[in-house]
Amino acid sequence: MQPRLRKLASVLLGITASAVIFGAPHGALAANCPIKLGGIAPLSAPGSVTGGEAQREAIKIAVEEINAKGGVLGCKIELVIGDTEGLPEKGTALFEKLISQDNVVAIAGGYHSSVGMAAKEVAHDKGIPVIFASTWNDQITSSKLPEVFRVAPLSSEASAIYWKFIAKIPNVKNVAIVTENTDYGIPAAEEAKKGLESINMSATTYAVDIGNQDFASIVLRVKAQKPDAILTLLTGEASLNFEQQAAENGMGPGDVPFICDIIAAESNSFWKNVPDGNYCFVGQFGLPEALYNDAAKAFAKKYKERTGKDSVESYAVEAYDAIGVLATAIEKAGSTDPKAIIAALESVEHNGALGKVSFPYGTSKDPSAEGKDAKWWHQYLDPALMIFQYQEVNQKAGDAPIVFPDSYKTGEAVFVNK
Amino acid sequence: MEHPLVFWAVVTWMILWGMIGGIVTPRIFLRKDMDISSAPLAGALIGAASGPFGLLPLWRLAPKSTTRWIAVATAGSVLLLATAFAISDPDNLCVDSGSFVASLIANGLVMGTIYGLMALGLTLIFSILRVVNFAHGEFYMIGGMVVYFFTAVWFPGAPVVLAILAACLVTLAIGAAFERLFLTPMYDGRVERPIEYAILVSFGLAFFLQYLVQALAGASPVKAQRFFPFPRLRLPTSEDPWVLKTSAANLTLFDTISISNPRFVAAVISIITLIALLWFLYRTWTGKALRAVSQDRQAAAVAGIDPDRMNMLAFALGGMLAGLSGATLVQAFSWVPQVGMLPALRSFVIVVLGGLGSLPGAFLGGLIVGLVEAAGTGCIPDPSRAASYIPAYGMIILTLTLLLKPTGFFGRKE
Repeated sequence: MQPRLRKLASVLLGITASAVIFGAPHGALAANCPIKLGGIAPLSAPGSVTGGEAQREAIKIAVEEINAKGGVLGCKIELVIGDTEGLPEKGTALFEKLISQDNVVAIAGGYHSSVGMAAKEVAHDKGIPVIFASTWNDQITSSKLPEVFRVAPLSSEASAIYWKFIAKIPNVKNVAIVTENTDYGIPAAEEAKKGLESINMSATTYAVDIGNQDFASIVLRVKAQKPDAILTLLTGEASLNFEQQAAENGMGPGDVPFICDIIAAESNSFWKNVPDGNYCFVGQFGLPEALYNDAAKAFAKKYKERTGKDSVESYAVEAYDAIGVLATAIEKAGSTDPKAIIAALESVEHNGALGKVSFPYGTSKDPSAEGKDAKWWHQYLDPALMIFQYQEVNQKAGDAPIVFPDSYKTGEAVFVNK
Repeated sequence: MEHPLVFWAVVTWMILWGMIGGIVTPRIFLRKDMDISSAPLAGALIGAASGPFGLLPLWRLAPKSTTRWIAVATAGSVLLLATAFAISDPDNLCVDSGSFVASLIANGLVMGTIYGLMALGLTLIFSILRVVNFAHGEFYMIGGMVVYFFTAVWFPGAPVVLAILAACLVTLAIGAAFERLFLTPMYDGRVERPIEYAILVSFGLAFFLQYLVQALAGASPVKAQRFFPFPRLRLPTSEDPWVLKTSAANLTLFDTISISNPRFVAAVISIITLIALLWFLYRTWTGKALRAVSQDRQAAAVAGIDPDRMNMLAFALGGMLAGLSGATLVQAFSWVPQVGMLPALRSFVIVVLGGLGSLPGAFLGGLIVGLVEAAGTGCIPDPSRAASYIPAYGMIILTLTLLLKPTGFFGRKE
């Protein structure tokens, strides 16, 4: 080749190589293999480790399934899991690490609202999409950040299921709400109290710090209040401690209508830690096993095999679908560019274990256009909310009857105060 | 609160005169060539309890600051505060429900006994080695984990006493091994700054133990079954059991005081352990040797006691006491690898309150902290705040102790 042509060829090659290496901003290539996704969950105290470990396993199963089918955009997914410890500062640092050091294109998971509340700002600053799996605080979505999506139920909707159920319990006028001093617990308690007061019930709220172990004095105060029902909005091991200590002082699920925290859905752990927890009502978010679709059945089988559990917790299903939705959105976007993924998420329809997951309200349709509150922004609309009750000691959650609402009911509630 | 101004006015009065008494009294005592070690505490308490009416005679007469005066002044301060509280919030449960207060006090004393036992271990280590064991919470955690695994996983159906003994042996062994491997460099000059070294290495042990257990056992909460469920008792009669009524999980005394089974059993084991410890320390040669080393290392060495061996024994015994506390409480609380953090923090408060190196001080400190936490959580009017302030109660006590009597109630002046 002549020197001039050779020189031209080298320049063109150099320009092309530079464009490939340096011209592409973070994740803008159609397929930059492997595609890194961040998975977040509380894996150590004071976070809810039982919840976090369930989410971690669910996320891992989701990624394995996607990779077994060939991955996304022809690339395998590489999962980077991080421990939020249930603390906002740790969650924020984790998001920074996942985005800046691990170069993830999107993040899924999350259990504690306080982590969601803090970390969403990092996702927004960096422009990286996040799907929160089990963080309930309404403000996570009502802040209408473009990057933030959620499959978990809204705290206000979840609180509504509780107080609407309490309305069905006979002889209840006075309720004790025991909650945690977090971005989830305080708003959830306020919403529950407001709902109870709207149906002429009085409620007293007791708040403790996350990770509290000794509830003796709180139980004595609750006992002195002589409540007709008790609503536990604590999470994690603190909820188990409270439920058992209340039972030991004659204020447990066998003595007064008692709604336990959703972590009680993990029946092995529940009966080990709350042996006197029979007749506890437990919030179930997501369809019961009897109504599982094919995706949920397949996931449940794998999850139970891997974890040895008898049932699948709602937060595990949510984490599983959060990854699934991300994968579907990336495929739809045809790119790992965060903006493209966000645009795809706004119109995605993913057939997951929760059902058909989509986020109807967003940039193209603001919630206010249909008279809805901002909390519905990028919010999955249909997490099935219901309540089941343990009616035998050591009963598996899957065998416990759903007692509310009527549309999902499979058995009658036993009210110990009747 | 109905009349919050009354309460806060009294608190302000007490703080003001307490500060004046705490600052002025030692100066007056110093001028009179008197011992001022307890003067700030006595002055602060007498000022808080009686304001200028007590302080002026105190300054004029300057009696010796004996334990009796301090106890009277403490009682006076508590009475004044309680009276102000009762007037400000007459509908408060702590004011109008005697049974509630009785239950709070009973539960506070029960938990205080257990806290005291754990703190005893910490103060024992300090009194001999002059080292604060920052892994004390992890010994507590390991004690509980050993009992859980022994009774639920490895040997289900085995007697609980064996499980508790196993927990004691494991924590004793870990304590002894750690002391021999990592603390001996402090004694033979291999370490330039032994105190800082000891702090860092015990922190290292804390993290190591915590995450080792998490890696081996996972982080899901576990719990041992009740050790000794109560038999069903109804006294004096089943129709009217007003003296004592028991279920497997609870006992109620005089229809008033409710105590859960796991805590009651844990407190009884703590008291038995305390008696055994006192017997060991005061009636056996080894125990007396330990006490001798804690009083004066060199004099003990001259008397033929090997201080290094006493170090190992003290650290092992201190860790074992924490492990025993955990072993008794794993039936009361859900257990995770991080379960020891709060109790360790509380133990530090207790040993400062009681006096670093003082065994009776640690036990009394435990009772005081148990009562204060119970009273605070039970009596603070706003139920949405009462339990949130639990860590603060200990910190308030710690701050006041460090300000007024840094050596604690029974601590020795170094």
